[in-house]
Amino acid sequence: MSLYVASTLTNVALISFLALSAYLVLVVGEVSFGQQAFFGIGAYVTATVTAIFDGHVVGALLLSTIAGGLAALILAALVIRLSGLYFAIASLCFAELLRLTLLRIRIPLEIDGRTTGMDGPEGFSNIRWIFENNFEVTDFLILTVLCLAALLVLLFFFERTTIMLRARLVGRDAILAQSLGVRPAQYRLAFIGLSGMVAGFGGALFALFNTHIEPQMFGVMLGVHALAYSIIGGLGAPLGPLIGVGIDIGLLESIRALSEYRMIAFGGLVAVLLILFPQGLLSPRVVNQLRARIWRRHV
Amino acid sequence: MFELNRITKSFDGVRVLQDVSLVLRPGNRVGLTGGNGTGKSTLINIATGFLDPSSGQITLDGQSLNGLPPWKFSRLGIRRSFQTARLIPTVTVRDQFRIGNAVGNLHRRRALIEKCGLSEFLDLLPFEVPLPVLRKVEVVRALLADPAVMFLDEPSAGLSPTELTSFAHFISENLHDKTALMVVEHRQDLMRLLVENIMTLDRDEPGIRVDSMPMKVVGSA
Repeated sequence: MSLYVASTLTNVALISFLALSAYLVLVVGEVSFGQQAFFGIGAYVTATVTAIFDGHVVGALLLSTIAGGLAALILAALVIRLSGLYFAIASLCFAELLRLTLLRIRIPLEIDGRTTGMDGPEGFSNIRWIFENNFEVTDFLILTVLCLAALLVLLFFFERTTIMLRARLVGRDAILAQSLGVRPAQYRLAFIGLSGMVAGFGGALFALFNTHIEPQMFGVMLGVHALAYSIIGGLGAPLGPLIGVGIDIGLLESIRALSEYRMIAFGGLVAVLLILFPQGLLSPRVVNQLRARIWRRHV
Repeated sequence: MFELNRITKSFDGVRVLQDVSLVLRPGNRVGLTGGNGTGKSTLINIATGFLDPSSGQITLDGQSLNGLPPWKFSRLGIRRSFQTARLIPTVTVRDQFRIGNAVGNLHRRRALIEKCGLSEFLDLLPFEVPLPVLRKVEVVRALLADPAVMFLDEPSAGLSPTELTSFAHFISENLHDKTALMVVEHRQDLMRLLVENIMTLDRDEPGIRVDSMPMKVVGSA
């Protein structure tokens, strides 16, 4: 596998974590333009733990996951009453606030003759875990894909639980949910927290892979794309957002002739797909219909 | 015993309900009629926690429910249906039943679903199921929770007269003895099949009081 293909695939897998986190928020009927913030938090936490404190990578990943989840939970708890459009705006403000704050924090450190640590717009350089542990690009690809596969398997089983059914109900019809004894705020909080965890974990891997991160990487456009993946891929199954990522990064960004026009091509594609498939490619209805059909045939 | 005591509700100064009282004991079957805009839906919304009354008390077995959120009403056993069949369009009938806070064991639930003739629809999505069946699904979904009080908001909407009769029989057969039922309906034929007592909301005659034991019909039903 060429280096180029391997790193493109790794990027697809990494951004998939972000797409899945946006998906979890959409499932409970909220729209977040701020998932890139939790991704960024995860990235900076792992960068700090591995490059500055020389911590174990498992601890770093765990800490990033917790930090992302906690940040999302706190944000959600503060603004959960402002559901709908207001949550979208609040999440966007939070993400931008974080990015602008990161631009201001400059505490560069000299470790083993290399500059590392947060350095405002210069970013956080020399996250050398991947070199220190002799990870080739393909090794890291395998690691990322395994993590993503594990998450997908978890989500796949989660999908069939009553918790997920109720979460989807909250997202679709909060009034009906309440009339059935389901407490919407509880599900919204839990799922937004979960989405922060997924984003934080993905961000952690992103930092390890890129070895250099900077605040500009976690800008609004990243969050908007994460949302778009779920919208074109559909909210029926976790595979939906992955299709979105595949189309955008796997196809558009990797075809070099197109890469300059990626934003235009992607925007146009989103428009066309939404006209043809208003509920996304894997809409909940299609997925449930297929599932019921398959199930019936096997019994 | 579920009780509404002197409920009054105004929207922006317009009084919709005035001094409405209601007592529902286990097993009671009460109908509620009234013209457009007399506050039938408002009354259901207040009784199920979706609206707060401007004044008056809501109690269940002596416990005050004022100010509680609707999901709490539901968990306490106060269930409702909506005017339009309200099901999740993307979820199979089987999963519609899984969503609510059902009580009792799986066996009993299966028996109820089977008895109501819904087994053959379990793997279908709502749009593949005829409306009368959807209406049943809604009611069974509420019955699975063994509600203390159940409000049906215009259950006849969209049903033909024959379907209506069988629907009424279906409800009276499957309702738990201890469940109190209140039906909001403008079709008297269905009403008569279902309830023992009809109250009418009337704009010009505020302050109705219905206590379903002893039987008393208020208004011109």
